[in-house]
Amino acid sequence: MPTATEIEAVGIVKRYGALVANDEVSLAIERGEIHAVMGENGAGKSTLMSILYGLTQPDEGRILLRGREVRFRSALDAIGQGMGMVHQAFKLFNSLTVWENIVYGAEPRRGLLIDRREARRRVAELAGRHHLAVEPDAVVAKLSVGVRQRVEILKALYRDARILILDEPTAVLTPQERDGLFAVMRHLAAEGRTILFVTHKLNEAMAITDRLTVLRGGKVVARLRTSQTTPREIVRAMTGRSVNLSLDKAPVRPGAALLEARGLTLASPGGKPLVEDAALCVRAGEIVGIAGVAGNGQSELVEVLVGLRRPDRGAVLVGGADVTHADVAARRRAGIAFIPEDRASVGSALTVSAADNLAMGFQRQPPLARRGMLNAGAVAARARRLIAKFDIRIASERAPVGSLSGGNLQKVVVARELSHEAPVLVAEQPTRGVDVGATEFIHGQLLGERAKGRAVLLVSAELSEILALSDRVLVMYEGRIVADLPRDEADEDSLGLLMAGRALEAA
Amino acid sequence: MSALPSRLQPPSVVVAIVFAALVGGALVLAAGVNPLNAYHQILVGSLSWGSLPDTLNWATPLVGMTLAAALPLRGGMINLGGDGQMVIGGLAGALTAIYLPGPGPLVATVALIAAALAAGLYAALAAWGENRHGVPMLISTLLLSYPAVGITSYLVRFPLRDVTTGLPQTALVPPSARLMVISDPLNIGLVLIAAIAMLVLYVDRRTVAGFELRVRGANARFARYGGVRLDRQATRVMFASGAIAGLVGAIIVLGSQFRFIDGALLTPAYTWSGLMAALLVNGEPAGAIFAGLFFAALQTGGFAMQRETSAPRVLTIVLQSIVILFLAVRNGVGRRAS
Repeated sequence: MPTATEIEAVGIVKRYGALVANDEVSLAIERGEIHAVMGENGAGKSTLMSILYGLTQPDEGRILLRGREVRFRSALDAIGQGMGMVHQAFKLFNSLTVWENIVYGAEPRRGLLIDRREARRRVAELAGRHHLAVEPDAVVAKLSVGVRQRVEILKALYRDARILILDEPTAVLTPQERDGLFAVMRHLAAEGRTILFVTHKLNEAMAITDRLTVLRGGKVVARLRTSQTTPREIVRAMTGRSVNLSLDKAPVRPGAALLEARGLTLASPGGKPLVEDAALCVRAGEIVGIAGVAGNGQSELVEVLVGLRRPDRGAVLVGGADVTHADVAARRRAGIAFIPEDRASVGSALTVSAADNLAMGFQRQPPLARRGMLNAGAVAARARRLIAKFDIRIASERAPVGSLSGGNLQKVVVARELSHEAPVLVAEQPTRGVDVGATEFIHGQLLGERAKGRAVLLVSAELSEILALSDRVLVMYEGRIVADLPRDEADEDSLGLLMAGRALEAA
Repeated sequence: MSALPSRLQPPSVVVAIVFAALVGGALVLAAGVNPLNAYHQILVGSLSWGSLPDTLNWATPLVGMTLAAALPLRGGMINLGGDGQMVIGGLAGALTAIYLPGPGPLVATVALIAAALAAGLYAALAAWGENRHGVPMLISTLLLSYPAVGITSYLVRFPLRDVTTGLPQTALVPPSARLMVISDPLNIGLVLIAAIAMLVLYVDRRTVAGFELRVRGANARFARYGGVRLDRQATRVMFASGAIAGLVGAIIVLGSQFRFIDGALLTPAYTWSGLMAALLVNGEPAGAIFAGLFFAALQTGGFAMQRETSAPRVLTIVLQSIVILFLAVRNGVGRRAS
């Protein structure tokens, strides 16, 4: 069992203008411990990690490393003191090989030249010792996300990181890859390394950590020993209230096919097709989930369905009518509402008022517009109604949406799209980066749409979300829909294998 | 709906102007002129009752070109080809007015329409190039300007030249087809540009087209997601922008120069002053009109200063640039902090 304190933060305060991102945060982590830092978006997790890794300097407070006070002026400083961090967005050179990425900045040399053979040998030795299977000469661009993550971890270990910060490391992994990562984490902890695991996923924190620290509004609200707590207690600490984690899903008998795709193919210039011969059908009163590791053609398929891209082959039908050649506006008229994956760069205009954001897509029809004239009163009234109905926390409908939290901005997008009352709803990663409360709300809304007899296509990288909401589950792998399962035949293991490109029989 | 953008809120603009005035004052001092006297001359020379008509006369094309630049900018596009569109409009207007028979006012009207159409279509060419062939409008508008200037120059030097004068210019526009004079030097062109300014404001604030353009300027992908056809919108906006520039060219030709003179439309650099005014406020029309008027006053005042003191007129252009730089610094800093 761990005993000595490896790293300690005492009374960390960080202010950004009027916002106190970290308010007297204290944290002590023992050597060899796996410690979860949990909290909703905006709770101050990222700020705290940036401070520990030397990317930002605190306004007040101290950091003690093995009992000695340290002051990191930069990440290089922190790395020199044995810190390592794996960011959510990997920081690798895609055109270089694995070993080049790992030794970069600390290359073994022979004279003025890099000792390539020695570098390769060290990388292979390191990978073998930590059970992180990588091919040293592979080019990073060709690796899967899971392997790239291993490269990131090896990069930190190559510099002999004693403390490893992993920022939401499982977001991009299949369940099997996640289990592999957990094994590596346990192995590293057994070696006496300390791991800070930033996550918002309850079951993962329960599965792997020794202790957890929960942040809310920049403050530490709970310090829990994993073996003595429950997911319910953690959620209450994260949100400050109790949240219903299970969903009420009444049986609905699906009706007519409202959204259909037939043989959709989207070529990519000089490569494998991004989408290949994809067919799907979503019926009234049904939620169909598309599972898959990010980057396997889900986004492209959605873009083709909603009219943002033209397919090279195949057809899209809404309510039985062929809309393959219709533009976005025509498809919206035909009855598709769309919650896009990227709410900030596709689903909204951050510098524009909430009223105008909520009006988009309705700007050409009564009551908002008549004969090309926009009715400002109607735009504002509609916005006020939706803000109240969806409980969007915003000062007024005239305020720009750029200042909203992720959850509230997502509510703006969801409010706008649901108010179309369109027969078909395409929801792409509807709860990504959204806090527990807003996730609960959005899931409730999706089930509400289902109960109203609408057809919902749900694309999500979160298997738990797919499994909680869907009536049927499709799996996408390398642009193809490789499985179509009824909900009761789908579970994490089977979907995980399919997501990794393996057929079920072979497993 | 949207209020004035933050960058045009009073304090910052005032601060930028004060700073520019201080720096400019130092330059005037270095030239051996009393800065207070120089500024007094600029003020009197632009805003006193007697000089106001000159300011308005200068403002007519400048604000026109400001609107031509502001319209695409409002949607995140840019039209750097104002010069080319202006000369195409000017020449089309001149030729129509000189060679089309008929009653004067009708000929003038047709000439203005022809100018707007010709220049609008020429500008729309850049949008077509981007839509169909992916040539960025930033480049194509600028590059399309040079052939337009070159060809009009050739035309008035050779086939269309007024041989009686020996200068590279067309024949005179018959007096009946010239723009109606309100009171010298102001003509009906002022009213026309004012009406266009009102129209642009109205479209921006009240219509669906204006809403969609504003949203595109804030986030083009969001506009597309909301059903806006970006390609068609670009064509329409570039046509309108070019049409305004062409109209400015024709207003100068039919209202003050009475013939197309090679180079005369471009020497005052209205295109670039207008572009700067529009860039200053990111194409927000009310702010752009205000900025255009301000620059017009500054430049007109510069002539007075040059007349009355030994400080050269070019100083006002320096002042104008410093104002813009200070505003840009403020914006840049503001963006990074947020």
